[in-house]
Amino acid sequence: MKRICLLLVCALALASCGKKRYALPSASVDYAEEAQTYPDYNNVVVPPNIAPLNFILKEAEASEAVVEYRGSKGGQLITGAGEDLKVKIDTTEWRSLLEKNRGADLQVTVYAHLPSGWRKYKSHVISVAEEEIDPYLSYRLIEPGYELYRQLGLYQRNLTNWTVTTIYENNRVYSDEHNHCINCHNYQNNSTERMLFHVRANHGGTVIVEGTKIKKVQIKGDSILAAGVYPSWHPKSNKVAFSTNDTGQTFHIHSPEKIEVLDDKSDLLLYDVDKNEVRTILGDTMKLETFPCWSPDGNWLYYCEADEPVDESFPDSLLSQKMVRHYQDLLYDIKRLPYDQRTGKFGEAETVVDCRSRHRSASFPKLSPDGRYVLFAEGDYGQFHIWHKSSDLFVKDLRTDSVYPLTAANSPDVDSYHTWSSNSRWIVFSTRRMDGNYTRLFVAYFDRKGQAHKAFCLPQEDPEQNIMLLRSYNVPELTRDAVRVTPSELRQCIYETEGEPAKYISQYESNH
Amino acid sequence: MPKKHSEKKAKTMAVLHPRPHETKRKVAPTFPLISPYIFLFVVVWAWAAFWYGDVFRIAREFSFWSSNGTLMSYEDGRPWELLWRIGLFLLQFFRWPALGALLLSFFVTASTYLFSYCLRLRSWWRLLQFVPAILFLASIAYVGFDLYYETETGMIMGIPFLCFLILLVAGVMIRSFSRKGMPPLLKADKGESRRQNHVQLALALVPVLIAMAITQWMRPYVRVVTRMQRYMMEQNWKDMAETGRDNGNLSYRPLAAYYAIALVQRGEIGTRLFDIRMDYDTPYMHGYNGTGNDIANYYLPECDFYAGLVETSIHHSMENMTMNGPNLRALKLLAKCALLTGEWEVAEKYFTVLHTVPFEGKWLRKYESMLRDTAAINRDPEFHMVRLTEPVHDIFENNLVQPVFLGYNAALLEGRSINALWNSLAVHIYTKSMPQFIYRCQPMKGTAPPESFAEALALMSSKQPELKQMYSGLDFQRSRLSRFASEIKPYMKDKQKYAKELYPKYKGYYPYYYFFGNLKATKKKEDNATSKSGVN
Repeated sequence: MKRICLLLVCALALASCGKKRYALPSASVDYAEEAQTYPDYNNVVVPPNIAPLNFILKEAEASEAVVEYRGSKGGQLITGAGEDLKVKIDTTEWRSLLEKNRGADLQVTVYAHLPSGWRKYKSHVISVAEEEIDPYLSYRLIEPGYELYRQLGLYQRNLTNWTVTTIYENNRVYSDEHNHCINCHNYQNNSTERMLFHVRANHGGTVIVEGTKIKKVQIKGDSILAAGVYPSWHPKSNKVAFSTNDTGQTFHIHSPEKIEVLDDKSDLLLYDVDKNEVRTILGDTMKLETFPCWSPDGNWLYYCEADEPVDESFPDSLLSQKMVRHYQDLLYDIKRLPYDQRTGKFGEAETVVDCRSRHRSASFPKLSPDGRYVLFAEGDYGQFHIWHKSSDLFVKDLRTDSVYPLTAANSPDVDSYHTWSSNSRWIVFSTRRMDGNYTRLFVAYFDRKGQAHKAFCLPQEDPEQNIMLLRSYNVPELTRDAVRVTPSELRQCIYETEGEPAKYISQYESNH
Repeated sequence: MPKKHSEKKAKTMAVLHPRPHETKRKVAPTFPLISPYIFLFVVVWAWAAFWYGDVFRIAREFSFWSSNGTLMSYEDGRPWELLWRIGLFLLQFFRWPALGALLLSFFVTASTYLFSYCLRLRSWWRLLQFVPAILFLASIAYVGFDLYYETETGMIMGIPFLCFLILLVAGVMIRSFSRKGMPPLLKADKGESRRQNHVQLALALVPVLIAMAITQWMRPYVRVVTRMQRYMMEQNWKDMAETGRDNGNLSYRPLAAYYAIALVQRGEIGTRLFDIRMDYDTPYMHGYNGTGNDIANYYLPECDFYAGLVETSIHHSMENMTMNGPNLRALKLLAKCALLTGEWEVAEKYFTVLHTVPFEGKWLRKYESMLRDTAAINRDPEFHMVRLTEPVHDIFENNLVQPVFLGYNAALLEGRSINALWNSLAVHIYTKSMPQFIYRCQPMKGTAPPESFAEALALMSSKQPELKQMYSGLDFQRSRLSRFASEIKPYMKDKQKYAKELYPKYKGYYPYYYFFGNLKATKKKEDNATSKSGVN
């Protein structure tokens, strides 16, 4: 027993030897500006359960850094960085400091060791919110845009630490037989109890997970434009609203926007998971309806709608060319349809956000779980704002009817696809603000007054990861719990089942 | 006395019948026995460094190895992942082919030696020791572009490394259980006769000779194209163009594409384009889907870039990385594109990524110094030429015929410089779209157009005589054209048959190209006149 204790003591001593202890410099010269860091975590509001905000100090001449976090409710954390200037914070100490300072501020003081001696930067503040963020964030990693795809996957990050688990990855090695794309993962009410995602090309279909049961279905048919695309799970029943889009993309040869993704046609569908039945909600041939999203009470279906451009010089057979010619004339409003949960019938559409009159265009409406706000991306034109530098996040306060941009969270570059945490206090969205090309996930606090605060980059254990990763994050979705099925179970379903075709219910059948 | 007598007799006998070892024979000078391994090492090194050095150098550009785990994650979960990672690292030494060749030659030579030792090859059986080297080098030569194009480049050095490792382990085990020593590595075997030694040396040459023969007869374009690519990296446009011309009889699309790039950079697209034969044979090339039907992907990103289509080059470089994982060629091109588009943050990102790749210091020093310095970018001769042909207006790639660098120039109505006009005219005479060519020639009215354009105008003036008055110097062209017309009359019945035969006589002369060049494409165009498919 003595030997075991001795060994343990030795092991602990060795472990503590490996971890460098930093001390505040005894003498330093004050500097009037705040430290420049990558990512920028100065003066942000963070959830009390977020992983440490590791960063790189951007000071070319520095050879060492020391950082002090001092909580206004008590507690101190001192950390630092060697020559690489990567400041990495101990997770346990960080968690304890945040817990102690819930609803309070951390004063952050950065010291850099320059050839002339230690420099003390002006302190900045990190505010710790009272409200936690949902601990799991799932997303897809894929090379930025363009036509081709190869290896891609859905992943889930535990926001309280560094753990990343694979939800599903397609085939690693090229295979004409097995190549497939995966997209549009979606959950019901921020819970993984019910989730879905699409598989395209080989092994195609929509994968639906309920608890630990997995099935693949084929939501397509002669009466539907294409397979279901953008999904929204009804909050109270086992039904999913999908858009169905006839989509194409085209490439600029001399524009910072690079890509345009255009729908030639788009409609809305309602899929009943239990009955495996699908019906058309909206199918106006002269209108483009897309991005469905249920209100949290399940009584409204929000969506985006644009008019097909009128140009008689293009016959129907040249619809795609017409859309490309008029891509800047495609302006989407946000509308909503009342939904009677008892009868399953939709009422008359009404406009929620009129963007067209301002010559702007909205996309991706997402209702806050408390039902008060519609969060959406607004850009100059079109609906695929992921490639529009004009795209910013806006909200509509349904109580006051006011529409405004989330100025503090927005950036001059693309700010687009977004998700709410289940307590309506946090939003996570994708943005190209870091380099204009690769989307990264940013988190912003959304306070009770309906204002978003300065957004911060999803923290990574190695802060350089955001530079080194040559892929984009997209479709972030926050959930309260972890995905309950394994990649191999999903693979088995995807590879080994054909997927039962959904039965199409015509308008007549659905009315009777 | 009898003793003295016997001594004298013995001396006399010794003079008359000398013993063999005492004879002072006059023999031809002989070379010392040479270790076949040393010889093999030297010849394989020379082959990989000089003969095939450019191929390995370009293979490195098509590959990627980084000290950063996130960047290498594209290799995660692939079969033989660790081996390919090692192979990719070793391939980086081909930044200088002479250095990379040392490693490759070491693996080949050491494997040969260990193979012989492990199989206990003795006497004449030792000739078999060269079989693995022959197979390896022959395969490298045989696969041609498939060595690195849309394939796992980790195999190039990974496989010889693995063979070496397996044989080393086997050799160590055998040595541990055997009393018998290992044969000498640096000297010839003691028991080996001079003849055996000579045969061994001759056989050590065989792997290299076979590889060279395969390259020369089966894949002659591989070394030429990679040499041109190396010149392109060095921005040695003169040698790049000359290499294309010197091998103008080899008609392959990548060669023609890189040749055109060199001409654009030298401002010679209007004078020297038709110096090479353009009937395009199909190279041995398979790509990731095994069909090789997308040969254009080999050169598209660079052709877009040097045609001024920076955004399109980003598009194709990105797709290249999507399909093949990160690679130096795409990353460098993306960094250069980012400098040209002024996207400093993403340029910085690519520079940071390239800092984790060994031996890229010089390249990085050059381009990093241009970050956030538009004036320096515009002063750079390479970028300056690209700027001259950048589009004036934005349009969509999808509205253009493919490939875009041809389609864009075919549709060009407004350019930034005379170079843009020349590119457009070159595309039109290349695609034999003569009405559009004549229409676009108008800005040159009253001047003497560059030679190829003048030849094309002279050719068209037989149908449109007014052209002779519009451009100077066409009269001289007319007399040459008349001669040409009478000379080719007998060959017009079967153009396909005589095209290659007539090429040496008329190379560089546009009317020859018009009637005898690029016939496969012309025929396709005629067969499918209404098709919207690619320019060529």
